Amino acid sequence: MSDWTEKDLLHWDEKINRIAEDLGLDWYPIDYEIIDYQEMLGAMAYVGLPTHYRHWSYGKEYERTHTLYNMGQTGLPYEMIINSNPSIAYLMRENALYIHILTMAHCVGHSDFFKQNRMFADTNPNHIIDSFKSSAKYVRKLIEDPSIGIEKVEHILDAAHAIKYQVPRTPGIQLKSQEEILQIEKLKMQADPNYEPDLERVPLRPEYNVLKFIAENSKTLKEWERNLILIVEESSQYFIPQALTKVMNEGWACTIHHKIVNELNLPDSLHLPFIKLHNQVIRPHLGQVNPYHLGYKLFEKIIEDTSFEEALTIREVHNDMTFLRCYIDEEFMRDMNYFSYSFKKDKKSITIDDIADESGWESVRDDLITNTGLNRIPIVYVDEVGKDNTLSLVHEHDGRDLDLRYAEKVYNYIASLWGDNVNFVSLIENERWEF
Amino acid sequence: MSVFRKHKSIVDRASSDRLRHKKKIDKAIKDSIKDVIAEESIIGQNGKKKIRVPVRGLKEYRFIYGNNDQNKSVGSGGDHPLKRGQKIGKQRAGEAQGQGTGKASDQKGDEYYDVEVSLEELAEYLFNDLELPDLEKKQFRFVSHETIKRKGYRFKGIRPRLSKKETLKRKIRRQKKAEKLGSFDPEGDERFPFHKDDLKYHHIKPKIKENSSAVIFFLMDVSGSMSQDRKFLARSFFFLLYQFLNHKYDQVEVVFISHSTYADRVPEEKFFNVGTNGGTMISTSLDLELDVITKEFHPNAWNIYTFYCGDGENWSSDNEKCLDLFKEIKEVSQLTAYCEINEHYSGLADEIDKDDVFHGTPWGTFSAWKNEEMDNLWSKLNPLCDSKFKKVMIGEASHIWRAFHALFGGNKST
Repeated sequence: MSDWTEKDLLHWDEKINRIAEDLGLDWYPIDYEIIDYQEMLGAMAYVGLPTHYRHWSYGKEYERTHTLYNMGQTGLPYEMIINSNPSIAYLMRENALYIHILTMAHCVGHSDFFKQNRMFADTNPNHIIDSFKSSAKYVRKLIEDPSIGIEKVEHILDAAHAIKYQVPRTPGIQLKSQEEILQIEKLKMQADPNYEPDLERVPLRPEYNVLKFIAENSKTLKEWERNLILIVEESSQYFIPQALTKVMNEGWACTIHHKIVNELNLPDSLHLPFIKLHNQVIRPHLGQVNPYHLGYKLFEKIIEDTSFEEALTIREVHNDMTFLRCYIDEEFMRDMNYFSYSFKKDKKSITIDDIADESGWESVRDDLITNTGLNRIPIVYVDEVGKDNTLSLVHEHDGRDLDLRYAEKVYNYIASLWGDNVNFVSLIENERWEF
Repeated sequence: MSVFRKHKSIVDRASSDRLRHKKKIDKAIKDSIKDVIAEESIIGQNGKKKIRVPVRGLKEYRFIYGNNDQNKSVGSGGDHPLKRGQKIGKQRAGEAQGQGTGKASDQKGDEYYDVEVSLEELAEYLFNDLELPDLEKKQFRFVSHETIKRKGYRFKGIRPRLSKKETLKRKIRRQKKAEKLGSFDPEGDERFPFHKDDLKYHHIKPKIKENSSAVIFFLMDVSGSMSQDRKFLARSFFFLLYQFLNHKYDQVEVVFISHSTYADRVPEEKFFNVGTNGGTMISTSLDLELDVITKEFHPNAWNIYTFYCGDGENWSSDNEKCLDLFKEIKEVSQLTAYCEINEHYSGLADEIDKDDVFHGTPWGTFSAWKNEEMDNLWSKLNPLCDSKFKKVMIGEASHIWRAFHALFGGNKST
């Protein structure tokens, strides 16, 4: 069936690596797992991690991908790589050789990005696989424990998953501990006698790690329940850098695979289908933003305007937000033909708000940034725990209202974890709104 | 430099999570079925009809943004010329497709699974944990009821009969042994997997349980005051009841009686399809039932169940007589149920402590009814209420199922 042998893979891998080294890339060694379609679905459901804890939502994800694939709505991805050392990547046995070549070159780009970009500095790639493994083992132990069992475990996981993105979004920045904040407040008080902060307040500053805060401060959770929540928290923290750099990461990997494969001097029988596939991956999606397209085009522009060396620096220091804000200009927006749109209740239809022309491109760019990665997920923080143990949460409103149906369900989940009164504040149509 | 591994995994790692997901979907089906049980389409159907039950996919809730004007999306226009204010559709592009870009999944489209179930499966889903109460052993005729009984364990068996408890016990035993021998380190990273020899299976024996004979009386009010909606609810109730009995018991006799100012014993089809007119004399149907009991079903030999369904708008002069007759029927029956169809109930449902209503205790907390004159049949029946005489109120379709549970659920009622 397939037009390749393992020898072919080794042959091209060596060439790819040589070119990548010449480009100045520095990546983790890569372990490629050659798997079949079923296993690929499984790998995708567990975001590529060979050792992920179990939860029914991954079963659902599997079915969803499977259905979409059967309906022809999506092709399986050509790449799946994990931020670990060594990086683990998957090659699907059914794919043709030119796809493998593209995938391998693409994976080198990702692995280089994981190793070099500063957002990933704290992701602990050497031990992440083991750490997930021990979490999975722990979860399995709880499920098998006759006094706990799957129902109770799922109850906690369901609730914790509902707020799994409610963790800090500033990787690479050491957050101050409560003691340190207290220290600072005391210094401030010495310097300014009129300054009287409430030092009894819990937490002293708004706490963005809602998961961890609940795990550590709830009065009703059992030990194993706290541990479960912290497992979810740990896994979220690991994925946050990837969510913060989706556009850059994909753009960089596409740039690299394009550069490498062009230098491989492939025979036409491999090169032509490669070009076709490459163009498919980086094509614009009508009415949506294709991160592969956006990232690739922006890196292309940067390399044209400056140099590849400049691009190497950028891939180290930026994240999506700063990347887009610093390097997008009017011409680029025009080329991409981006526009912003919203649902208008009075007209009951979706209407274009702004387009990328002289007066509109900046506003469209700003909307593009607020729709990138984690910016699509509302920020909620712990404001205070009252004297009566009421947990006060606040939604950081930025103009976009919450979906109330969803918010209410999440609220219930939070309340069940906290085990006491929970107060939640947001704005709906410019009015204060409370649960 | 890179390593290539041909992956030969024997286990499908997602399988247990998929199974778990499927179980949850099954539960969702069960829950939705309760909402569709009173749909017109299933009433009066025979067992072959398939019913489509829409089941909402399991959602994973997160905080997500809603649809206000400030929530703008951005997209690429491709080669299309664009204008401000241009209308481009009725639905957000992302939602229509129901597929997000993956990790930070924020898609909102409701996923619906349409599941087809037959009436038989429906009955299976619905009636599994319900049982006719207090079936006593009586002479002569028997209702056979085949049950399967577990008896002991065997080393061989089919997978569904695997006894998890015994298997686990054997595994633990083996594990402790291994620990003592030092061939297994409990603190280590290694798992201690199940071995083929650990498996133990339940052994089962079919057992024919001989229940006493049972006769069920269905009494329905078909007077003029039974509006279209009320009739519909009454029929739904009886229809379900009938399906339930058919599903649970191989042999039960059913007697259908419909009444207005006079009562008729009617065949099954007619019972479910008759029109309505005339006034209401509930006592006539009770009279007829007692008459039938005397002639055909002696209480010594038969378990008798009576279900009355009407709107309670009886001629007030008839109420006293009804009370006496109900008393008489209660004496000879295993269970007598009085079911009142009253749509006023649905509006007031929030006021009622539901246990109070459905378990036949006096109508205490229902303030709206307190003020009304206590002359109606519902309140007159209060003294009769106990485990053998139950009253239920049905105001809308969704109450049917609750009424059912109140009557047959016993302690298992949800």
